[in-house]
Amino acid sequence: MPAFARKAPVVDPSATSTQQQAIDFIDKITSLEPSVHWPNIKPKLFLENLKVNAHNQLSPYPGRGTNFCGYGAITYMILREDPLGYIKMLLKLYSEGKADYGRSSFDPSQEVKLAAGTFHFKGILDIHPAEQMWYLTLADHFKGYLNIFNRRYDQGDEDTFWASVNYAKFNRMVRKLLNYDVEAKGSDLIRPHTGGTYEYISEKLKTGVLVLYLNNRILHKKKLEKIKLAVPTHFVVLQDISRVDDTITMVYWDYGGKTLLQINSHFLHKIVFGISHCTKKVAHD
Amino acid sequence: MISQAAKILSAVGIVMLLFSCSAKKITSDFYYEHQTVLEEIEQSYKKLNEQRPFSLAFTDKDFRTASLEIITDTLSYIYDLGVHSQALNDTLHKYHFNVEGVNHLVDLMVGLRCTWVNNFDYYVDERKRTLILISIKPVGLHPILSYKKYYILTFFSQPQHFDEKGRLLDKRRLRRLRKINGEVFQRINDKVCYTISGQFR
Repeated sequence: MPAFARKAPVVDPSATSTQQQAIDFIDKITSLEPSVHWPNIKPKLFLENLKVNAHNQLSPYPGRGTNFCGYGAITYMILREDPLGYIKMLLKLYSEGKADYGRSSFDPSQEVKLAAGTFHFKGILDIHPAEQMWYLTLADHFKGYLNIFNRRYDQGDEDTFWASVNYAKFNRMVRKLLNYDVEAKGSDLIRPHTGGTYEYISEKLKTGVLVLYLNNRILHKKKLEKIKLAVPTHFVVLQDISRVDDTITMVYWDYGGKTLLQINSHFLHKIVFGISHCTKKVAHD
Repeated sequence: MISQAAKILSAVGIVMLLFSCSAKKITSDFYYEHQTVLEEIEQSYKKLNEQRPFSLAFTDKDFRTASLEIITDTLSYIYDLGVHSQALNDTLHKYHFNVEGVNHLVDLMVGLRCTWVNNFDYYVDERKRTLILISIKPVGLHPILSYKKYYILTFFSQPQHFDEKGRLLDKRRLRRLRKINGEVFQRINDKVCYTISGQFR
């Protein structure tokens, strides 16, 4: 193979499956052996976590106070597209310590393998070791400029820049893991020029999966200060958007469920830093 | 010249030390000074939250806008509404809240400059536990140049474990500090802890 040739897909990225296939598959498994690769993961909780993910595709919960929300959004997208593939891949990662998905091969570090299963005070993620394993694996594998100064996992790094996801990294992850074309508008610092944020978003939502990159410091204030850092920190997967007069109602997936938020058009423009329009790749003969 | 520089450095050090000590003292003092109201906020939120899960925050410095998050099985609703506005009351009616009870809670929170009250799930030995977290933006003294401006109080349902310095410990591994949102918490009593944070949630 010539040196410049693109790496062949590890697993067919166009593979899709249904929720029922995933449920039928995972519900037949009644127990798992402990994994030598993931010593702190309890097999019973791991299996229960996979069953929760299969039965409830909204369930991925990236944890309270972590920087895992980008990985949570990707997981939700994978669960909608290929839940059976997701479950089989996590079972392989658990039992063999490495696995492939889409165009990525995951071989997580020893530090990450020791950390999975040990989280506390992260909400229900505390008892979801399969998701702990998966988010840690994604953060360990995909690197962006925000991760330059902290590339190796230490205890507690799920809350630090080690786990951060910048906008370009998120779009790269979608392209690598899912069979999607991604039309990305926006950046980490400058809002997208769309000619009308609401109009653009509502139009694009009709034809694909839409991920919004939001400034959560404005959306979900943590400090009562006049000057707020204009840096987005949150990924949500939009489900619905509508407008009555100047009141915009958005329904989106984030943190293990759906959220309905009402804002005005000025506020929408202020919080949106990235709009990723993801559409399935068309097969050419 | 050197001795003058040493004096200035010593003075700066003493001032910094005073401020770092006073911040901790203020918080435990604050709790005891306002214990009745704080406990009323905790109890009234606990009762209302059992009827219909929600969290309540204030998103402006003047405490005129309440951010109400209503949590249902299928959807979480977030509304920013004026304190005592008709819109707030209509929303509370619509979702079958105890309107009078929530408005009383709002008044208690505004009176104490309480920025957020929330129910917090955590797990011990795979069993779900909850605590109530209350954030306060106090008026008056806080360390100069400090970014930490909020007092965070946690009300646990069960007595907790602490080390000899009064720091909250992880029950399962008694020597490991238990951090909540990345912060180490200090003991006020067996069930109530505090920290000082740069963020109220």
